[in-house]
Amino acid sequence: MTTLSLQDKALTHLVGFFRKEWSGALLAILILSVAIEMVTSGKPFFHPTNLMTILNNSAAIGVVAGGMTLVILAAGIDLSVGAVMGMVAAVTGYIVSYWGLPAWMAILCGLALGGLIGAIHGSLIAYLGMPAFIVTLAGLSVWRGSAHLSTGAQATPKLPGTFDLFGRYNPFSGIREQFQSGELTGFMESFGAFVDTHWMGFFRTFQMSMIIFVVFFILLAVVVSNMRLGRYIYAIGSNEQGSRQAGINTRLYTLYAYVLCSMGAALGAMLFLGRAPYAKSDYGQMWELNAIAAVVIGGTSLFGGRGTVVGTFMGVVLIKLINNGLTLAQLETFWQMVVTGLIILVAVGIDIVRQSKSAIKVQQMLGVVAVVLALFAALTPLSTLISSVISLHEHNTMVAMQEAGTKMVSYQYARLLDEAGVLSLNNIIADTWMLSLALLALVAGAVLNVVKLHKGLAYIVGSVFVLAALGLIAADMAAAAPLLILGACAMFGLPSVPYMFARARELDGGTS
Amino acid sequence: MSIKLKKLIGVIAAGALLSSSVYANSIGYITKSATNSGWMMINQGAADAAAEAGVDLITVGPTFQGDLSSQLEVFENLLAQGIMAIAIAPVDSSGIAPAVQDAMDAGVAVVAIDTGVNGAEVTSFVATDNYAVAKVQGAYAATLVNDGDAIIYVTGNQAQSTGQERRNGFTEAFKTARPNSEILEVPTEWNSAQAQEGVEAILNARDDIKMVANAWDGGTMGAKAAMENLGLSAGDVKLVGFDGATDAIEAMEAGWVHADTAQMLYQMGYQGIKAAVDASNGKEVSARIDTGFFLVTPATAQAYKDLVGIK
Repeated sequence: MTTLSLQDKALTHLVGFFRKEWSGALLAILILSVAIEMVTSGKPFFHPTNLMTILNNSAAIGVVAGGMTLVILAAGIDLSVGAVMGMVAAVTGYIVSYWGLPAWMAILCGLALGGLIGAIHGSLIAYLGMPAFIVTLAGLSVWRGSAHLSTGAQATPKLPGTFDLFGRYNPFSGIREQFQSGELTGFMESFGAFVDTHWMGFFRTFQMSMIIFVVFFILLAVVVSNMRLGRYIYAIGSNEQGSRQAGINTRLYTLYAYVLCSMGAALGAMLFLGRAPYAKSDYGQMWELNAIAAVVIGGTSLFGGRGTVVGTFMGVVLIKLINNGLTLAQLETFWQMVVTGLIILVAVGIDIVRQSKSAIKVQQMLGVVAVVLALFAALTPLSTLISSVISLHEHNTMVAMQEAGTKMVSYQYARLLDEAGVLSLNNIIADTWMLSLALLALVAGAVLNVVKLHKGLAYIVGSVFVLAALGLIAADMAAAAPLLILGACAMFGLPSVPYMFARARELDGGTS
Repeated sequence: MSIKLKKLIGVIAAGALLSSSVYANSIGYITKSATNSGWMMINQGAADAAAEAGVDLITVGPTFQGDLSSQLEVFENLLAQGIMAIAIAPVDSSGIAPAVQDAMDAGVAVVAIDTGVNGAEVTSFVATDNYAVAKVQGAYAATLVNDGDAIIYVTGNQAQSTGQERRNGFTEAFKTARPNSEILEVPTEWNSAQAQEGVEAILNARDDIKMVANAWDGGTMGAKAAMENLGLSAGDVKLVGFDGATDAIEAMEAGWVHADTAQMLYQMGYQGIKAAVDASNGKEVSARIDTGFFLVTPATAQAYKDLVGIK
């Protein structure tokens, strides 16, 4: 075989990357991270302590989603994980606070409770043939209610330090304290000094949550890809009947999947307690949705049989990254909800295009990305323009209604403006309408390009993106310019996609 | 136990089709939550007022906090079965308005507790003036930091009037006193885990934060956990709460919390049911009953504990 040129090597790696189920999630993580890095001020987003904080806060929901992955791979679903997590957290906290049991025993009881609940779900589903959706939906209600009943829905006092080992405990804090009190000598002393100087910059957030999270996923990935349990779960998920005929005890392994899922929820409860102020029975609300979202974002099929544990890891990190990044970027509350949904759509969209393996689909997606970027850039002047026009319209309507003598509720008067307000709105409209229209035209051009994929058109629209970016910088809205530059990159890259596909096929043919 | 039993009966009674005579001596009480510690105090006040007046209290809570449709359903069931009066803590100020209007038109007294109704008149609105109390919170919080210090404000649900009023009141008063201070916001839907995560992210990214103010005490406890997770000690970053919940007052004594504006939660439930009973007996009831507040600081913590009976 001849040695590959640099370009071909890069192409092989690119294709290899997109063959992975989790590439969509990872790509979304990277894009989002760069975007957040650009808009946040102060300590950078890519700071190790911030990244570790994200991992620390991913741990509890991550372990829950890890268990969920097994169930979904087996073509099932578990809607009860949030309730099970809440119940285990509350009961464990209750036992340790009011029964005087040592913490480790309470933790074992909690994990056993999780296993028992999973066994109940699994038996009903695998041996009685009840639909998983119904059984676990009932479980969601039953376990949440039981948790409230058994603990009176009251918060426990602060939990003993043993629980910190599942959460905020920092393995380096002891060394740092010993160093600071001068107890260390020799090598340990210099190591202590190293920890102490890099405390705020690195070691501060190096906590058990994160370590358990990563180790759990490594173990789970090994189990799923190398052990019989994992192989059987994939087999059951892709073809249950066939698996049974092939001699797999499908009922037993389905039961295992639900037991492991509920135990994952129980372990998630311990990880959550390790960072929470107290134990309470309302923990974990809506976690089932977040866990399912993480699994699906990670490229696992809701119909079972296809997906990876690593993908779920990425999915969880992506969800927590969105929370962390949008908080640091101080985006307005309601926008956070909108943006969160859009990012999830993008991650899953990449996954779907990835599976289609067609050059035209990829080109279309690049085109759509450019449209979205142009739309976001256009929103910078457009949102102020639209809101000004709407406010003015509402004001005029209110004036008209007042003149007509309509009775209004007091808070509706808030729509009325004073004279200065009307004037400033008119000024805003006069300032922004031309730029807004120009950017809207750009969006239209990008849409046209998606509909009619054409090489020349892509280059023209790409050039207009660059011009518009310069225009935005000139108009004092430089913040939106990077969006357009990215859009231009997508446009210029678009015509080379078919060539890349053809070349990749050739390379594939040559090596195999 | 008796409250739990009553709640159970309430749920069954509201759901079942019973003759109206069963409700001849009953007040419907639709609460916002049965598990939030603050709401448990309000519900206790409501139960005590009903026992005192000798009426049956049909207490119904939503299946989860913020569930408007189940509140509407319960409201209409109670109304259809000839209840004397309804006291309600709306999960959605505007969403509940049409149902409230129907009840008022039918001559059934409706008392709103804690959260007002937008777009319909009620017999009486019994609540702390959230906006006014949040202004006190903001003004006092301003005295705890210097002008120019950055602070975090943990919001409540911004789709509800309670969350909006507390945020607006705090921000206005604080900004007036400390115009050069930056306020970073951590948005939540009254969920302490969201508060913990957001505060942790910001405290880790910025070391110039001097204070975390909260729209409710679940947020205060979440912020305290965030500080502990980052290895901070009591007082490194000042905490300011809202609600006067027991755990926040305990945290105040341990040096974590520096101020807390407490609502008179028990009074809110008590006065609300009392107003509903009075109105259904044809007595004159004030359209707005302000149940007041208490500014708890380390100096006044003991007095507050004695007042509301925290041991």
